Amino acid sequence: MHEQWERRWDLDQLKSSKLDAPYIIASNSVRSIVSKQLPWAFIDLGAIPLGAKTLVVVGGGNLIDRVKVLRKNDWPALKVVAIPSIWGSGAEVSPVAVMNGHIKDIQFSEDLIPDRYVIWPELARGASFDLLRFACGDVYAHALEAFTSPLATPQIRREAATLMNEIAEYPIGFDDRWFDASAAACLLQARSSVGLIHGFAHVLEPKLRASDLAGKWGHAKLCSAFLLPVLRFDLSASSRVKNLAAEFGLDLEKVLATAHALFMPDAYSAAMAEAERNWEGIARDRCSRTNCVLVRRDSIDFFRRFRASGVPI
Amino acid sequence: MSNREKLRDLLLEVLLLTDEEFSYDLNRAQVETWDSLAVVAIAAGVDETFGYHLTPDQAVGITGVKDIITVLEREGISFADA
Repeated sequence: MHEQWERRWDLDQLKSSKLDAPYIIASNSVRSIVSKQLPWAFIDLGAIPLGAKTLVVVGGGNLIDRVKVLRKNDWPALKVVAIPSIWGSGAEVSPVAVMNGHIKDIQFSEDLIPDRYVIWPELARGASFDLLRFACGDVYAHALEAFTSPLATPQIRREAATLMNEIAEYPIGFDDRWFDASAAACLLQARSSVGLIHGFAHVLEPKLRASDLAGKWGHAKLCSAFLLPVLRFDLSASSRVKNLAAEFGLDLEKVLATAHALFMPDAYSAAMAEAERNWEGIARDRCSRTNCVLVRRDSIDFFRRFRASGVPI
Repeated sequence: MSNREKLRDLLLEVLLLTDEEFSYDLNRAQVETWDSLAVVAIAAGVDETFGYHLTPDQAVGITGVKDIITVLEREGISFADA
């Protein structure tokens, strides 16, 4: 049993807890539902009262990460209770915080881990199918790259294989089991590394957000778009993934079927146009450098061919 | 392509070196880009290129190009000039 389960609450546990001087920071999309369940005052991130001792942050990974960084840098005595509005990022359990700017700033510290996290599945029930699908892709990308990471231990690989075999049975769409799977996948990658899927996502997200507002680009969408192409790239370059799958009991056919189901040719094609302009940065990104297969200058050719084929190779 | 050439190409790629900057006598201390992430990338590249997966101890114990050759030769991969 991992430590994160000791930090886990459900909504009833949160409501019956005796939090010290709590305030809520919530994203607009969930503010209404949160206000009906929790009695504490809402505040803005930039206006934390001096008497606050606990922040309950409810929202997506970006908001949770901003609160984690704020606490670490400026309010170290504050307790943080993180409630993800959708699964995927795993920010509620992670020692990593990703700050969005012109480039991604990735911070890693045990001090970033929230004191508690709460699984509140109803928050995600109203999300669009696309958002839910991207979130599933995000979970899968974390689990897969943790499994294939050159830094993964046999124990991490066993856990990642078990998790991937399990979530391959989950529906792509709403299912409250995705929340716990997301937390588990995030912790697996935090104990190993991520790879080229995240290299693409980290470099392209700020570029695409700036150049294509209508595309609603985010980390989860990019992870979903590149999950299948990167998996195919890894499989084409080396027998490493296939051998690891056999060794640790990962059902590679199921993984490929899920990656196919999550693949979005239009999003991939649009993202590849930006990837062509930023390949040097993607290939040299710190995530890409811990990919299970070496990412070379000419590796972009594989992804061009994948795009040109119109359908998965 | 000989194994020496394959290893040189791999290291040029991972360490972002030019042909002129590379030599088989290079060690980690001489190459700014030979950081911990490069160690991981070298391990992945050695596996892909030579079909041998470095153990974690071998990977972190490598201090120069000659060490990589020594490890691989112990595994029966020849670096004698073609």
